Amino acid sequence: MKEHQEGAVDKIWRIFSSMKLGLVLLGVIAFFSGVGTLFPQADVDPDKAQAVGKIWQDLGFTHLYSTYWFRLILGFLCINLIVCSIQRFQGIYNRTFKLQPPKNRTNIPKKIQETWKGDSESLRNSVQKVLRSRGFKVIFEENDKQWSYIAIKRRWGNWGSFITHLSFVVLVVGAFIGSSMGFKGFLMAGVGTTVPIHSIQVSHGTVKENFDVLINSAEDRFLANGQRDNWYTDLSILENGKVMARHTISVNHPFTYQGVTFYQSSFINGVHLTADIKGQKVPVILEDRGGNYFQAPGTDLYLVASAITSDPQKPSMLFEVFKGMSENAVQSGQLDFGQTIDIQGAYKLTLDGNSGFTGLQVKQDPGVMVIWLGCALLLLGLILSFYWRSILVTGIFQAEQGNQGEITMGVSTGKVVGGVKEVFDRLVREIRAK
Amino acid sequence: MNLGLQNLESSAFDVMVMAYILCMILYWVWIGLKKDLIGTLATSVACLGLIANTAAIIIRMVISGHPPLSNGYEFLMTFVWGIMAVYLYIEFRYKLRSLGAFVMPIPVMLLMFIIMSMGPEERVAQAIPPALKSQWLTFHVVTAMLAYGAFAISFGLGVMYLLKLKEEGKGWEAKPQGIIARFPDLETLDELSYKVVGFAFPLLSLCIITGAIWANYAWGTYWSWDPKETWSLITWIIYAAYLHARLMYGWKGKRAAWMAVLGFAAVLFTFFGVNYFLPGLHSYAQ
Repeated sequence: MKEHQEGAVDKIWRIFSSMKLGLVLLGVIAFFSGVGTLFPQADVDPDKAQAVGKIWQDLGFTHLYSTYWFRLILGFLCINLIVCSIQRFQGIYNRTFKLQPPKNRTNIPKKIQETWKGDSESLRNSVQKVLRSRGFKVIFEENDKQWSYIAIKRRWGNWGSFITHLSFVVLVVGAFIGSSMGFKGFLMAGVGTTVPIHSIQVSHGTVKENFDVLINSAEDRFLANGQRDNWYTDLSILENGKVMARHTISVNHPFTYQGVTFYQSSFINGVHLTADIKGQKVPVILEDRGGNYFQAPGTDLYLVASAITSDPQKPSMLFEVFKGMSENAVQSGQLDFGQTIDIQGAYKLTLDGNSGFTGLQVKQDPGVMVIWLGCALLLLGLILSFYWRSILVTGIFQAEQGNQGEITMGVSTGKVVGGVKEVFDRLVREIRAK
Repeated sequence: MNLGLQNLESSAFDVMVMAYILCMILYWVWIGLKKDLIGTLATSVACLGLIANTAAIIIRMVISGHPPLSNGYEFLMTFVWGIMAVYLYIEFRYKLRSLGAFVMPIPVMLLMFIIMSMGPEERVAQAIPPALKSQWLTFHVVTAMLAYGAFAISFGLGVMYLLKLKEEGKGWEAKPQGIIARFPDLETLDELSYKVVGFAFPLLSLCIITGAIWANYAWGTYWSWDPKETWSLITWIIYAAYLHARLMYGWKGKRAAWMAVLGFAAVLFTFFGVNYFLPGLHSYAQ
């Protein structure tokens, strides 16, 4: 007889259908995930990541979670889950929808089993009555001298593990869609600034949209007790100069326009000033701690705000003026609200008030809804698996003399005997009492 | 009013600490002497401790005006509450008082950690940063608290299982008077541990999911491989492996008990190790 040769596809299928492989992959993912927390990651702390030995950098330990090999392991786990799910589908389907009453006593689960004698008709009635009243779906089968049944309660519990495993695949698909089709960026802008969306700093992906973001106001708001309330940014979306939408965002309250979401991320104090350059008034906005500078047109003078008071009632700033590339300030001092000073004889500067600089995370993630779907499936699967376990009761009656005979009843325990035994004992008590 | 409330909170905290230490000792004495009166007293003092714990948390919420989740002190107090609530439920539901002798040292050690390592300035109610002002955070921490509490119970059951197994492995019949004889049989311990993990695992999943939803609202990223996130995922994987190994390969008994112990070690590292050794987005939890 010719021996069946296992083909390459069969071999791959067999490997990926192994639950052991899944467990090994989970262990490997856990191990490398843990290792990744010990190495500084380039996207969080680029300076420290640079200081790590080159070999570790080359192996990807400083950007571990985005390395091709880490993603490959995740991919293998995904394939493993898909293959295992496909293999188990038919069995779960049969256990839920194609239930077959037992043909003989050997098919009755033995771990928790009960046998007693009685009259066929009355036993059948009481089995049916009790099981149905307890929420079981009962299927009977009758032969010459015997009848048998199978009864299931919470049958959707059978699908728990299938849905849970499938949810992981959905999560990975969602993450893939997000990383391959979306973008992530950041913008820091002062009040009154209009920022074209495609000009923001992008750390990942490409911005395809073409609208502008106008920062109407930015505020660091405090409560009456002195505690910070939140950072608020009132922004408008402009298309060809026309306001298409306007919204105030704060931390935990983002705003989405055309799939692009704006998240309040940070806030820096700033001041707005007026520079009077030979009669021409130029508005200037400076960021605290030298975050930006103002170069008066036609000069090589650079003005920075080295410190700004955050008290909106008494706006005040410490400033420094640098000439050319010199590191030493040619002028420095304090400028209070409404005060005007002369800057190197080139222009006059007046402090008009405080002005916030708002830091916004800008993100487009078309995969995020898929992620939430995956999360919902994961929860549904786990609830079905652990809080909605199905209970499968089977029984068979075999006649001995006339209508008299013996019934054997058993319950499938799954992995937990205790709780199931209590339910089974109660059922048997009720059936016998009727 | 605030000063009065602070004093009340401080008193509730002291009562809680004393009650938990006393009930731990009482559980130990009970397991040795088997005097029912001492056992009843141990349970009563544990209940008193939980009441004081609940009071301390509620007063803290009144003082700060937000859920007690803004610093390490508040997190630990709620973690202890989670352990005690789940423990007392298990004790009443399964008549398993001997478990107290193995579980109680965990909340006591957590409280000792607060007393010995946290000064008054670290315990005071603080203003929370804007990112923490989210209802999702409340769900996130409440689910974590219950899940971690239940995992502490499965750890206690795992230790009991291993001790009992060791005694039985010596080939003796467990002496009727021996401490180990007060433990339920091995199968009950094993099954109960599985049930507790089965209860906690969906909660841990919910904790991770609510954390992801919150992070997405706050930072625009549902998963950023922050050390705390990563270690909670590792903990999740350990318990997922526990459940799979049990369901598919019948890993019961000794191996399952060791996995319950390992899983709780991961819980503790996620809770403490990450906060103190691997700061990231969750660094406010220190």
